[in-house]
Amino acid sequence: MSGVTLRGVRKSYGGLEVIKGVDLDIAPREFVVFVGPSGCGKSTLLRMIAGLEEISGGELQIGGTRMNEVDPSARGIAMVFQTYALYPHMTVRENMGFALRFAGLSKAEIDKQVMEAARVLELEPLLDRKPKALSGGQRQRVAIGRAIVRHPQVFLFDEPLSNLDAELRVHMRIEIARLHKKLNATIIYVTHDQVEAMTLADKIVVLRAGVVEQVGSPLTLYDDPDNLFVAGFIGSPKMNFLPAVVDAGGALRLPDHGDQILPALPASAKLSSGTQVTLGLRPEHFRPDGAAGLRLTVDLVEHLGGESFAYARHGEGGEVITVSTGDSRALESGQSFDARFDPSKALLFNAQGLRLR
Amino acid sequence: MGKFRLGRSENVYAWLFLAPALTLLAIFMVYPILWSLWMSFQTGKGVNTQFGGLANIYRLTQDPVFLRALTNTLIFLIIQVPIMIVLAILAAVALNDPKLRGRAFFRTAIFLPCVTSLVAYSVLFKSMFATDGVVNDTLMWLHIISSPIPWLAQPFWAKCLIIIAITWRWTGYNMIFFLAALQNIDRSIYEAARIDGVPAWARFVYLTVPMLKPVILFTTVISTIGTLQLFDEVNNITASGGVGGAPADSTLTLSLYIYNLTFRFMPSLGYAATVSYVIVVLVALLTALQFFVARERK
Repeated sequence: MSGVTLRGVRKSYGGLEVIKGVDLDIAPREFVVFVGPSGCGKSTLLRMIAGLEEISGGELQIGGTRMNEVDPSARGIAMVFQTYALYPHMTVRENMGFALRFAGLSKAEIDKQVMEAARVLELEPLLDRKPKALSGGQRQRVAIGRAIVRHPQVFLFDEPLSNLDAELRVHMRIEIARLHKKLNATIIYVTHDQVEAMTLADKIVVLRAGVVEQVGSPLTLYDDPDNLFVAGFIGSPKMNFLPAVVDAGGALRLPDHGDQILPALPASAKLSSGTQVTLGLRPEHFRPDGAAGLRLTVDLVEHLGGESFAYARHGEGGEVITVSTGDSRALESGQSFDARFDPSKALLFNAQGLRLR
Repeated sequence: MGKFRLGRSENVYAWLFLAPALTLLAIFMVYPILWSLWMSFQTGKGVNTQFGGLANIYRLTQDPVFLRALTNTLIFLIIQVPIMIVLAILAAVALNDPKLRGRAFFRTAIFLPCVTSLVAYSVLFKSMFATDGVVNDTLMWLHIISSPIPWLAQPFWAKCLIIIAITWRWTGYNMIFFLAALQNIDRSIYEAARIDGVPAWARFVYLTVPMLKPVILFTTVISTIGTLQLFDEVNNITASGGVGGAPADSTLTLSLYIYNLTFRFMPSLGYAATVSYVIVVLVALLTALQFFVARERK
């Protein structure tokens, strides 16, 4: 299996630059997920690796070889599309074997490869059906099968689960994770769904507006985000952001919460008094035994069964703050309560949105 | 599922709304169709007709002019329709390429012929393909031919001219259907094939053509019907001295023969009706054959 290396990769359409210099190292057998909001360039970047979009600048290497000018079919990649892109007039068997006909394989060899992939993906009973007679999940498995038979060095997945319903998405997510273990392949996977990113990835690449915001393991991004964007994008429900002002000795004053004072954090102790900062608190950082508390009134409570989330605010016009109440189901809307949290867990960001450590 | 039943008054209103259209259809479609079927069993000329049973059908088999018209029509059909469909697909595929410059211009240019006036274009073609016309002059100037092609004087070239004319006129019309169908094909199907190393010719043969099959069937059927009714071109372009189908009936078609039987010669309405039912039977048979060939195989 090959790794993939991007060095200063750029893409522009006329004067509009959509990928603004991406540097990335993907190790062999690594499962890398590109994640970001719509229009961040994650699909474009994947299509550039595939060879479906030209690279305007920089260098792409697959397995140590420069691939910028190489035809898509010679890059040693296979791609699975969001729309499955199955050939509608061919059976599952023909769909999976079609490309091999042009790779100079004999009929017997093609059959063997197709059967092997069908076995891995449990597609054997469906081999003689056409795509229109398959469910969404089955179609996606055929699309993956079509990729597997070519034994690519790198698998590319472009939002493969976006067209599936929620239940099937969870199921296919597990299938893809299992497949990665079984095939031991390098996978680059694009999604806008941060749950998919967190559960599948060895390494997540967070993109925004054509720029890599942060690269790291899922838990690194969750626990130790570099900036406000990554902090807000990774984690569901989103992290709460509270404006704060540094007071004497690094203590933090919360102007939106009755000028409540929080004890100094290691990062805030270095700041001069009066500095504007943002405090990041994940909903799950709220715990009944926390040392600090915010006085909030509940707007709405969501009970998920195992846990509940309260959407609450300070006073009438305050920002909505999401609080995980754990398995406690006691809160009701309109109720005031003291949301306790551990101030040492809070993250600190400067006025430019960069993390203060 | 519960059934929704129309009340009596709603039924009446529905029929009232449909009545004008149905009346027009009955007067101008159903009645002539049935009357011409009845007429096809009548023999005699002008108003002097009598019931002749299958006499007209027997006459068809003995009529060299009819057989010539039938042969000509089938030749036009067998040669022109496939050429036109292939050209239309190729033009559509070429014009569907987003990288092609001036796509809109070429689309319009290829489509425009089918909105021009039949008579106007026929007159132009007649002058362009005259012995000293612009086509012969150009071909000679390019040294492709050494002496003018007798487009209008020789049976073979006259047939070629008719085929060129109707191909020019109708290719763009068919291309529009293919373009519409191509734009409905998911682009990622081609991208997947490109990544999988399927060469461009194979993408066309094994992906585009099969995916266009319903449209190919549709355009073949309407072109077949159109060609079986071919009249204007052979009555204008290859007309000589006001009589179409020249030279020597080499471009005479069934429709033109029906016209001649009805209006040019001593009116033989019964026999003309029989010939028009030949077209009906041919259309039905050929359409059934095309549907059979294009059927979904298990």
